[in-house]
Amino acid sequence: MAEIKLKLKKTHKFPLEADVISTDVFAGKSNDEIKALELYLGNEVVQLGEFFDVTGKSGDANELKIIIDGDVSNVKRIGEKMTAGEIEINSDIGMHVGNQMKGGKIIVHGDADDWAGAMLKGGELIIEGNAGHYTGSAYRGFWKGMEDGIIRVKGTIGNESMLWARNSKKANKWPILYCGAAGSFLGIHNHGGTIIVEGDVDRCAGADQAWGTIVIKGSVSRKLPSYKKVGEVKEVELPNGEKIKGKFIEYSGDHSVKKETNGRLYIAA
Amino acid sequence: MVERKIKTVYDVICPFCGTLCDDLEVDVDNTTEKVVEVRNACQIGTAKYFSSNPSEHRYEKPMIRKDGELQETTWDEAIDKAADILVKSKRPLLYGFSSTECEAQGKGVELAETLGGILDNTASVCHGPTLLAEQDVGVPSSTLGEYKNRADTVVFWGCNPVHAHPRHLGRYSEYVRGYFKKDGRNDRFVIVVDPRNTHTAQIADLFVQVNPNEDYELMNAIRATLRGVEIEEEEVSGVPVEKIKQLVDILKKARYGVIFFGMGLTQTLAHHRNIDTAICLIRELNDHTKFLITPMRGHYNVTGANQVFSWNTGYAYSIDFSRGYPRYNPGEFSSVDLLMRDEIDSSLIVASDPASNFPADSVKTLFKYPLIAIEPHETPTSVFADIVLPPQMAGIECVGTAYRMDSVPLRLRKVKDAPGDCLSDLEILERLLEKVKEKIGE
Amino acid sequence: MSLKDCTLLTGRTINQGVALEGGKTTMENVRAAAICAFDKEDFKKLDCLVGTPVKITTNFGEVTVYSTISDEGPHPGIIFIPMGPWANQVVNPDSQSCGTPTYKGMKATVEVTKGAKVLDALSLIKLLKEA
Repeated sequence: MAEIKLKLKKTHKFPLEADVISTDVFAGKSNDEIKALELYLGNEVVQLGEFFDVTGKSGDANELKIIIDGDVSNVKRIGEKMTAGEIEINSDIGMHVGNQMKGGKIIVHGDADDWAGAMLKGGELIIEGNAGHYTGSAYRGFWKGMEDGIIRVKGTIGNESMLWARNSKKANKWPILYCGAAGSFLGIHNHGGTIIVEGDVDRCAGADQAWGTIVIKGSVSRKLPSYKKVGEVKEVELPNGEKIKGKFIEYSGDHSVKKETNGRLYIAA
Repeated sequence: MVERKIKTVYDVICPFCGTLCDDLEVDVDNTTEKVVEVRNACQIGTAKYFSSNPSEHRYEKPMIRKDGELQETTWDEAIDKAADILVKSKRPLLYGFSSTECEAQGKGVELAETLGGILDNTASVCHGPTLLAEQDVGVPSSTLGEYKNRADTVVFWGCNPVHAHPRHLGRYSEYVRGYFKKDGRNDRFVIVVDPRNTHTAQIADLFVQVNPNEDYELMNAIRATLRGVEIEEEEVSGVPVEKIKQLVDILKKARYGVIFFGMGLTQTLAHHRNIDTAICLIRELNDHTKFLITPMRGHYNVTGANQVFSWNTGYAYSIDFSRGYPRYNPGEFSSVDLLMRDEIDSSLIVASDPASNFPADSVKTLFKYPLIAIEPHETPTSVFADIVLPPQMAGIECVGTAYRMDSVPLRLRKVKDAPGDCLSDLEILERLLEKVKEKIGE
Repeated sequence: MSLKDCTLLTGRTINQGVALEGGKTTMENVRAAAICAFDKEDFKKLDCLVGTPVKITTNFGEVTVYSTISDEGPHPGIIFIPMGPWANQVVNPDSQSCGTPTYKGMKATVEVTKGAKVLDALSLIKLLKEA
């Protein structure tokens, strides 16, 4: 596997917009060509080489791994629209990491800021720390958010995560989000997304859910009044075939959207 | 012929709140160019007209900070220094615009684009969530005249028009006699939902006292009840389920209803989601009857700012031009969030007072960097600014266009001349833009 | 005396609206906006006279304002400061990434501080300038 190592060598006051840091853009480029790629700092255009040391050797996007060192907690849009390969980030990461990613894998060994994996269309995003608001969400005004792929967050995610998620039975697309705990309005306007939470969730989980599955192994600070108890189950089967064991209370909803719905919310009994 | 000492200007549009009352009469002393009497306006509108008279709080000449003190200077020097600050900045913030007219707002957009800066208006701290929700789920709305003539059920949710839009009730929503509502107040059923028994609530037919920060759950329960679902809890957000059922019944029986809402929904937790669910509620109510929704916009031309920004850039507020083209993302490019993350290096404040109206921590950042204020009065922002450019007050001292809260454009009138060397906002921004272009060699 | 676990709301009042038009740096603005309105019963618990300065503390800051009894009550547990520089010392600047700070609904505690000084708008904002 070809490997490119980037190391941030300069601090910067404003966020650095680095949507070019992606396996697709790096593929087949020499290190000098990579250093000449353009980043945005405030209203200035700067070269990647000004801010990052570039070592290693590039190759085909499928076979390429980008490793990023140094504090990139204020670098935005890494891995935007990436389709293949792998990015490993050994630090906290700024906003929009892996947004609209179609394939490949991104691992963050730290926290991610807001909009991580927004409108994900495939691939896998792993965050070992916490993630910010709007993780795996639709951007403003979009009616289709995360359409496929997996987001795994070990820690807590912020508010309104997985907003407007949309599955497709026909195309066999099942967007899934795993997380340790979550803020308010988890899976709002859900249209078929699957969310599994290990711990507790703040208010209004599954608000306006049309269909989809949300499994919460902890508690919800305030359950919505429009969710109705269906019964108790000992096992939850997810649309992708995965089974989750444990005693859950099954609720149907959100009934403020439809009187009869197959949207489900499972909360640990 | 007898020379009249006082002239009266009729049908004046009030430039204070989004109601844009259009029936003011203003008396102006011909010799001193001072407002001496205002008729028909509310207390606040009247105060605004009187505040345009020369006083110790009104700037009449451009000011620039030298040796720690604001000192009078010439327009040329002030514009030159201001342009210098903006051109040298990598991430200038252009904020305000809601209390000026549309032509000046358009010039503001051009300036932000030329600078590659961030453009934001005061919707960012008030009805921005409304705009976000409208982008998510649409908005069924109408003009205020329709409500006046037809509405028989009026809901005020999280707003207090008696204080914030004093003449709204009398002109459009509560007491006024409409074409089909000839008996005025008696022909309307008024509902107020608020955590406090506000003055608006005290004159309503039904007051629903909701717990602070829990509007979303209440609205959610109303929607579910409307769908025929039995609520399992006994009370939601401090409101007994029986009362929710009563409320749903009233809403369904309305022949033409409207919800007006304000900061009580947009500035509490859940922000735009409160509006989102309110709009969905309207959608569902339209299965039974006719129902519409309108935000109670604060600044008189904040709706205009949203309109002008939208037709120029595609987005209503929180716009970033740093990459040469407009991008939009409240939370990322909105003023308070930028300031909290210390992401600006200068600011141009137009017709606004963020030092008073932003949370304290964000004001600290604002003051760390050069600040240019286009502002007619002494405010906590202008007093600590580096450059103050005194404008004429639109709608009093110069003409322009403004949009009412229901997006109806009205032409503002001029009633008198501005004191001192004041220029219109449009002219100030034009001169600033010209200077900026000259400096960056465009 | 003190009150714990109150919910602080902020918003427009007509007096504050009048004061801000051209008189933001005047004492009129202090009278209109540097106040905190209490529910009648809550105010009894404070055991002080109307107009006594009170210190309002939230997770986001503290400010001293004059106390008054709300004529828009009853609203037990809720305190109200008109929008403006004083309220903004204690509001939640976090917008949860939606752009609009949370100006309403903060948890607050109230302490009576007889003899404490209520600052005017400029002195208050000057503290932020110097910070």
